[in-house]
Amino acid sequence: MSAGPYNYSYIFKYIIIGDMGVGKSCLLHQFTEKKFMADCPHTIGVEFGTRIIEVSGQKIKLQIWDTAGQERFRAVTRSYYRGAAGALMVYDITRRSTYNHLSSWLTDTRNLTNPSTVIFLIGNKCDLEGQRDVTYEEASKFAEENGLMFVEASARQMGNRGDNVEEAFLETAKKIYQSIQDGRLDLNAAESGVQHKPSQPGRNNLSADQQASKDNCAC
Amino acid sequence: MYATKQPSLRIDQSDLMCKKGCGYYGNADWEGYCSKCYRNHMDQERQKKSRQSQADHSKAQVSGFSKFEEKKRQQTDKKNKYLKSLPVFRKSSSAKDSGRPEKYIDMRQANPDADKLMAEFISSYGEWGEHVRKDFFKCVQAFTTKMLSELDAKPIEDLAEIAQNYYNLYNKRVNTNDVYQGVTSEVKDELLDFFERYSMVSLYSFLFCPPSTNDEEKDLTIQDRIRKLSWVNAHHLDCCISETSIEVRDLVYTAINDLLGLDSMKAPQEKLSCVVRCCRSVVKVLQHCQGGPVSADEFLPALIFVVLKANPARLKSNILYVTRFCNDSRLMQGEAGYYFTNLCCAVSFIENLTAESLNMPEQEFQSYMSGEVTCVSAWESALVACEGMHQLCEHLALLKGLLERTAVVQDGTQKLREDMEKLKDEINEKVASVLERTPLIIKPRKIPIPITRDNLPVSPSIHIPKIVDTNMPETDEITPHNYYLQNLSMTQINLLDSTKTKLQLDITPCLPVPNTAQMPSQSTEFLSPSGIDNRSLDSLTPDDNSYLGLSKINYDIDFSDLSADNSIAEELTPEKRKSPTPSFTTPDPFSPVGVSCNIMQSPLVPSSGPMLVPVQERPPKKDDFVLPFLESIPKKVEEETLLDKLEETPIISLPSPIKPFTSEYTGFSKQGSKIPSIPCNTGDFSSLNLSQSSLPSSSKDPN
Ligand SMILES: Nc1nc2c(ncn2[C@@H]2O[C@H](COP(=O)(O)OP(=O)(O)OP(=O)(O)O)[C@@H](O)[C@H]2O)c(=O)[nH]1
Ligand SMILES: [Mg+2]
Repeated sequence: MSAGPYNYSYIFKYIIIGDMGVGKSCLLHQFTEKKFMADCPHTIGVEFGTRIIEVSGQKIKLQIWDTAGQERFRAVTRSYYRGAAGALMVYDITRRSTYNHLSSWLTDTRNLTNPSTVIFLIGNKCDLEGQRDVTYEEASKFAEENGLMFVEASARQMGNRGDNVEEAFLETAKKIYQSIQDGRLDLNAAESGVQHKPSQPGRNNLSADQQASKDNCAC
Repeated sequence: MYATKQPSLRIDQSDLMCKKGCGYYGNADWEGYCSKCYRNHMDQERQKKSRQSQADHSKAQVSGFSKFEEKKRQQTDKKNKYLKSLPVFRKSSSAKDSGRPEKYIDMRQANPDADKLMAEFISSYGEWGEHVRKDFFKCVQAFTTKMLSELDAKPIEDLAEIAQNYYNLYNKRVNTNDVYQGVTSEVKDELLDFFERYSMVSLYSFLFCPPSTNDEEKDLTIQDRIRKLSWVNAHHLDCCISETSIEVRDLVYTAINDLLGLDSMKAPQEKLSCVVRCCRSVVKVLQHCQGGPVSADEFLPALIFVVLKANPARLKSNILYVTRFCNDSRLMQGEAGYYFTNLCCAVSFIENLTAESLNMPEQEFQSYMSGEVTCVSAWESALVACEGMHQLCEHLALLKGLLERTAVVQDGTQKLREDMEKLKDEINEKVASVLERTPLIIKPRKIPIPITRDNLPVSPSIHIPKIVDTNMPETDEITPHNYYLQNLSMTQINLLDSTKTKLQLDITPCLPVPNTAQMPSQSTEFLSPSGIDNRSLDSLTPDDNSYLGLSKINYDIDFSDLSADNSIAEELTPEKRKSPTPSFTTPDPFSPVGVSCNIMQSPLVPSSGPMLVPVQERPPKKDDFVLPFLESIPKKVEEETLLDKLEETPIISLPSPIKPFTSEYTGFSKQGSKIPSIPCNTGDFSSLNLSQSSLPSSSKDPN
């Protein structure tokens, strides 16, 4: 096992949260594999996936934690909020209860992540227009009130709004990257959810990332 | 066994052992050797392959803490090199890196867990003295520095070996060095443990799933594989776990949760203890299902089942990390070693399992794996049912909370209702008492009103009550000609009682009118509340104009009421009412024309008097009001004049009795405008309340 060259310069850590069965795992699968997983077993604890994307010419590796929606694993999943740079909060547009729970998910997220964490709201399963139970306007208003980004998406259907899956992940990354550029997100904080990799192979500058943390934290 | 044998659910205990037969547990990641034999084996291999002997090199470096200084230097060099290599966009933070002390220190700063451990060390082992602490941290620092310096140069296996060497070195040091002389052997073991824990927590982000390895790929592979195997149930595994029993399910969940904790821990021994806890739970599950002792044979399938259902995050990374950096001695023996080895077996089984190992036809297996056939496993549905139950409980709890809150609200409502009842009673009582004190006297007076009207034209002079105020110098000026509206007194009492309010104002207007018209000079305009009076008069009499003029005067009176001092009260005493003294005479608009001033006034005064005096001490006095008026309310006077004009009252220009003050004191118009017309006969003064209530604030009533 030799040290291979890093082909990315950042790692962004994401979490996907939301009620059971809203399609979190499917969204992740769609994003990483570009496939719809029809019979996805319920997630136990957490699963993870990765994909390398490009933002402003920078290769960024997304390390995405897909959490279980089940309450009984909440204790486990909560430990993954820490240090997430992006949080995708998912509800199912065909089940209002999943929408109603958003505020508690949001509270958790706000409490357990750092203030610079980008939160993106996804209304999933928008291919099932006929069974819609939550209007776009309503959710959009909720997102606006809480300062979240928002799209409706479908893990099943690409094209049409299905592209929004891609968009949600990419927009989040863009926003995070923007925060880094602005200096709003402190790269070196232990829990920032962002790691920086030098482009030079075999180098690991994590410690330097951490070094700077205490000093240049102006925000 | 690992590579050679077909994965099987039944393993022999000997299969868990090192294939060298040294008596320690072997491990799939060590190619079936125990760690010692594996390392020996690797060393031999390496030496065979290349004479370069990298291993020797690393060993030489590790040889002792004495090389600490040298390492430090190396490390600083490295950092400089590193800084240069920073990409451009990191400049801002990297600029600050210069002048930073040691890499190690910095790393610790950014690691809150390490800080916690530091505190824990001091609290737990501080008693052994400063020198122990110093030596401990010196060794930790030497170790971590070494690791960091080798991080990029060496493959992870070599780093693992360095770590093991340092563990051994520190072990030796603890047992031989003078510094640790007084320390008991138990504490020595603990220190050893802490050494491992502290260094590994500090180095976790570098050593766990390092990007230089393909650990993450392996994680993804097995995660996907386990997901694909989600259809496997206890029956397939020939395992006695009954998936439908609630208790069993809960126990299995406990085991699963224990296993899930694996990824959240940082130190190898903490991860290991998660595994141990999970395995103990598995044993409990089996005990529950079988109702008896558990054989080793049954354990592995159950563990496999739990691993399959848990699909723990980064399973391979975790196992590899523990294998590499946990102190070997822990893994090679004891409960932890045994369970960990079993876990490795389970994982290896999962990675390699085939239709055969599950005792099912190949075709069926394939169709399951490809997702063609999906079976709803009892486990899966139980999971959903569980969540349903959970939500049910959640809602029940919510309802309970609501119930409690409703009860509270109801209590509050009840209380409020009682309070309101009480208040109502109180008010009623008060009203009753007030009514008692100042009962119907008013009405009789009002009745006379029509009479006064008639009378007025006849002999206006008579109507004008003369206000003689002993207290006031101004009053002296007031000649009988001046028509004062005595009625002022009625004003304020009554916010609570509508009845009270009614009484006060009416009287005034009637009288002044005739007087003012005839007697230009002396009537003090400010004293009389004009607006109110006028209206009442209007309704009564055809010739409104004449009365209007008077009305101005009336306004003044209102004012005075507000400003009135307690002194009024004295004057208002019932005796005075009954037999009004000459000084006290007030013009009573309602009184019959022919009656002398005194007589007329008396009825009015008394009514207001009794009410005012006891309750509010605000009885309006003729005398009193003059003064406060002048001082405090010049504005109103002006307004009043305006009003008068509007009403086209001819009498506006009456000379005020109090000349010096007149300039300031213009009038009362504000109130006048607010005062709605009051029909004389009804005696309804509710409208007056408004004007009166507004007065006190503006006039700076002493009260
Ligand atoms: N029609 C439609 N179905 C979807 C979509 N996304 C997910 N599903 C279905 O919804 C079900 C649940 O999806 P999952 O991805 O397992 O849900 P989850 O949020 O991961 O659930 P947990 O892991 O239990 O928290 C699956 O049967 C999916 O096939 C979608 O966009 N459209
Ligand atoms: Mg899922």
